[in-house]
Amino acid sequence: MVKRTEQRIKVLVTKVGLDGHDRGIKVVASMLKEAGMEVLYLGMYQTPESIVRAAIDEDVDVIGLSYLSGEHLIFTPKIVEEMKKNGLEDILLIAGGTFPAEDIPTMEKMGIDKVFRAGTLTDEFVQYIVGNLKR
Amino acid sequence: MSQTNEAKTEKTHEGDWDAYIKAYYEKPVSFKSWSGYDVKEIYTPDDRSVEDYGKNISDAGTYPFTRGIHANMFRGRLWTKREVVGIGSPADTHARLKYLAEHGGSGLNTIADVTYEMGLDADHPWAVNEVGLTGVNITSIRDMEALTKDIPLDKVSWSLITASTAASVTMAQYVAVAESGGYNLAGLRGSIQNDPIHFRYCGFRPACPLDLSIKLGSDVMEYCTKRLPKWYYTTVNMYDLREQGINASQEVAFGFCIAMCYIDELIRRGLDIDEFAPRFTFYVSCHIDIFEEVAKIRAARRMWARLVKEKYGAKDPKSMQFRFAVHTAGCSLIPQQPLNNIVRVAYEALAAVLGGVQSLHCCSYDEPMCLPTEKAHLQALRTQQILAYETGVTNVADPLGGSYYVENLTDRIEDESLKIMKQVEELGGMEEAIRTEWLDRQFESEAVKRQKELDNGDKLVVGVNIFNTEQEKTTPLGVQRVSEQSAKKQVEDVKELKRSRDKDKLKDAIKRLRDDAGEGKNVIPAMVDTTKAFGTTGELLGTVREVFGYSYDPMETIESPFNW
Amino acid sequence: MKKSIDIDDMVQRLLAGDRRAAARLITLVEDGMEKSHEVMKRVYPHTGQAMILGITGSGGVGKSTLTDQLIHKLRKQGKTVGVVVVDPSSPFSGGAFLGDRIRLQSHSQDDGVYVRSMASRGYLGGLSRSTYDVIRIIEAMGMEVIIVETLGAGQDEVDVIHIAHTCLLVLTPGMGDDIQAMKAGIMEIADIIVLNKADLQGANTSLRHLQSTLSVASLKGKEWIPPIIQTVSVASKAENIQGIDELTAAIARHHEYLQKTKVIDQIKFERVEQELGLIFKDELQKLIFKGLKGTGKKKKYINSIIEARADPYSVVEEVLNTYLVPRQ
Repeated sequence: MVKRTEQRIKVLVTKVGLDGHDRGIKVVASMLKEAGMEVLYLGMYQTPESIVRAAIDEDVDVIGLSYLSGEHLIFTPKIVEEMKKNGLEDILLIAGGTFPAEDIPTMEKMGIDKVFRAGTLTDEFVQYIVGNLKR
Repeated sequence: MSQTNEAKTEKTHEGDWDAYIKAYYEKPVSFKSWSGYDVKEIYTPDDRSVEDYGKNISDAGTYPFTRGIHANMFRGRLWTKREVVGIGSPADTHARLKYLAEHGGSGLNTIADVTYEMGLDADHPWAVNEVGLTGVNITSIRDMEALTKDIPLDKVSWSLITASTAASVTMAQYVAVAESGGYNLAGLRGSIQNDPIHFRYCGFRPACPLDLSIKLGSDVMEYCTKRLPKWYYTTVNMYDLREQGINASQEVAFGFCIAMCYIDELIRRGLDIDEFAPRFTFYVSCHIDIFEEVAKIRAARRMWARLVKEKYGAKDPKSMQFRFAVHTAGCSLIPQQPLNNIVRVAYEALAAVLGGVQSLHCCSYDEPMCLPTEKAHLQALRTQQILAYETGVTNVADPLGGSYYVENLTDRIEDESLKIMKQVEELGGMEEAIRTEWLDRQFESEAVKRQKELDNGDKLVVGVNIFNTEQEKTTPLGVQRVSEQSAKKQVEDVKELKRSRDKDKLKDAIKRLRDDAGEGKNVIPAMVDTTKAFGTTGELLGTVREVFGYSYDPMETIESPFNW
Repeated sequence: MKKSIDIDDMVQRLLAGDRRAAARLITLVEDGMEKSHEVMKRVYPHTGQAMILGITGSGGVGKSTLTDQLIHKLRKQGKTVGVVVVDPSSPFSGGAFLGDRIRLQSHSQDDGVYVRSMASRGYLGGLSRSTYDVIRIIEAMGMEVIIVETLGAGQDEVDVIHIAHTCLLVLTPGMGDDIQAMKAGIMEIADIIVLNKADLQGANTSLRHLQSTLSVASLKGKEWIPPIIQTVSVASKAENIQGIDELTAAIARHHEYLQKTKVIDQIKFERVEQELGLIFKDELQKLIFKGLKGTGKKKKYINSIIEARADPYSVVEEVLNTYLVPRQ
């Protein structure tokens, strides 16, 4: 069973670009909801601009990105830059999906706080979020 | 459950033998099949619900083909060892095809990238970042020429994986290149995925509106029936459906329901079931539960034979034969302790071969990390070759046939699948189940169920919830990258082509395509001509989309350049 | 957990139209932080002019896609639009799935649109009390029309029908039972009835049902009879979207009616009365429990009621007499 959180945590989960693999992120959204979080689901075909605008309007605590088509190194810098431009440094930025191990330090250097790969259990990412909020 | 927890703490420090002792007494934790069916300790003749061998099972090569579509199965011909290839530009992909062919691959198999499947040209603002990332990018006839360069199209069998409405363009591009190369279309062998309906559930909904999916999907089928008699023109993709998290019975049921959408349309167009059913193929998943997967394949064969014969009145036994390719289950592979994936794939491939597969793609072990590296690709091919040449599993048709357990499981999956198909029928048919998003809800609840099974330890996966070790820092056989240069060149080439082509010739071709689409004609001939006039993927599809009342651009970003 | 913020500065930025400030302040009132009173005191003078449009109906009737269409129309008319979308919180986990913004993302780069998704946080039908404040904050940032989208159906104390000036009830064909069940209250809920997905089978039957329900009401001599507008708010082909112009016109007509008959003044009076009542209730409760805190009396009172030595009414009277102004 997933441990639940009492704290109000609002998480934006989304995909960027054309990548159509949305099954995983939908599951993550469901599991975060079960863990007691308020999950803003933006789905597919978002741009760095549309993601950041939603994060601002909705005052989210966390942004979760899903990458399954090898687009992570292309879009991550664009999203991080857009977040910086808008002063969103206090939002926890996490990513999940399919990546080679070699890319994880690269993504972290680019500004992702934590990278989760396929095969991660719910408790792991829930506990990470609860313990690492930036505000 | 308690065994699971004990096994989780894999203490290995010196002097502590508890883990070993506990491991000695370990038992399985679940007595369910992967799909969740309860399984008994042993199966006996009493469990054979199917009594009538002749009617329900029968020898391989005879109706209802439960045991295989050929009497001698692999003795006649081994399955096609067809590894999926698709990376960057057509030239990059061509190089990998050549490499695999040199190492004993026996079928060409190329997969389109996400931009192509969405129906976007490489120079589309949404495409430029993602050209070639997940497959080969084909925007114009030049790309198809580069992909097929020096390959004798009349001698090879080519599997073209384009699933969305863009499959119509792929077919047109392939035909255009073949005609320009002087090949006789009637001699071309191969297949095209062409299953836009299922692709709505793989993130390509903007490119696959339901009515256009049926229209363009069926146009390809109708065209091929008349012009490419040896071509398999749809591969109903049950694999992708399974990857959404559904179980084995749902995989068969949903796949058949989608197939029936196309069959009904072709019959509506006046074609006879025996004219086209022999050209239908299926793309099946093989997951990790070996017996269940074999049973699923056997059940699917029996169900298809009966469906086509009893519901659609087919007379030709070829119509009733369930032909299928297998893609080992990508979603069963994990990035943790990744070399273990080789073992998983081997078991899954074994199930496919025991099930009597016609064509097989083994996932490379690096599937959950990146596109296959050359070494990983070769290793996956070697898995197939070991099965084919070392294990002896090819000697006998349907070696598991007659197993009390497998026959029971075959019946079970058939029953469950038929129940689901009946449910869909009661909802008003598959189109209605899609429109009302009933199908979406099935996928969603099943996918969540799968995650919970892992979270709760009801299903064990080594490296996920049992026998975990620290995360690896590197990928064992290296990482495949898509060349940025190739992608950039792809975009530049398309821009140059659009500048330099003969505009009047293109205009005439687009006009004909528009007219044909407007008059309800089959659009493939006009698409072939437009391709020869250097019309591009986005332009062909966009033109047809507009005629059908959709935005020219599925992403609604650009306007048609042909607004005259 | 959340960092302290300078309220004066925030409100100044809000009034200048800063969406980040608006978003932060909304979180503050949503979370019911102590400071929210100070925020609202500063925000209130800058509110009261926006037109508030409620959209309610069961899940899956197409509220979000209707909202999307309405935003397009309103933006064409040059109006700025704020949207509050409320989704139910799970009674089990407290979590919520806020999945409606996805349908409003085509406005994501439009500075004249502000969308906020909220979880109902324990209020089953739709809105929590903070919704009043959230709307005021969005108004203060300069939005002229505010759309409040919720699952509510008029059963709750805090409901969209108590907040909106014009309330749209969205139904779809085949909801015969729902309509039947609502018969009594339908007039109270809806100023405009939207029969969405009017391209589905059974639309005509549903329309007739609605018409007969409403004709009964019109006999009672109501001034405003809710028009029934048939719409198709989502279609893969743009040409198949229907009824949005008619809906916008009906909204404008209702707006005119409210102004001309001065009903709007009555509505505004009732809204403030309701809001005031709710705030009193919350604040009184807080005040009283604060007074009881540490005295051990709360526990004593509760036990005495359980043991039937007292009843809640007598207890409340006693407490009010002790902790508040003695009653006459």
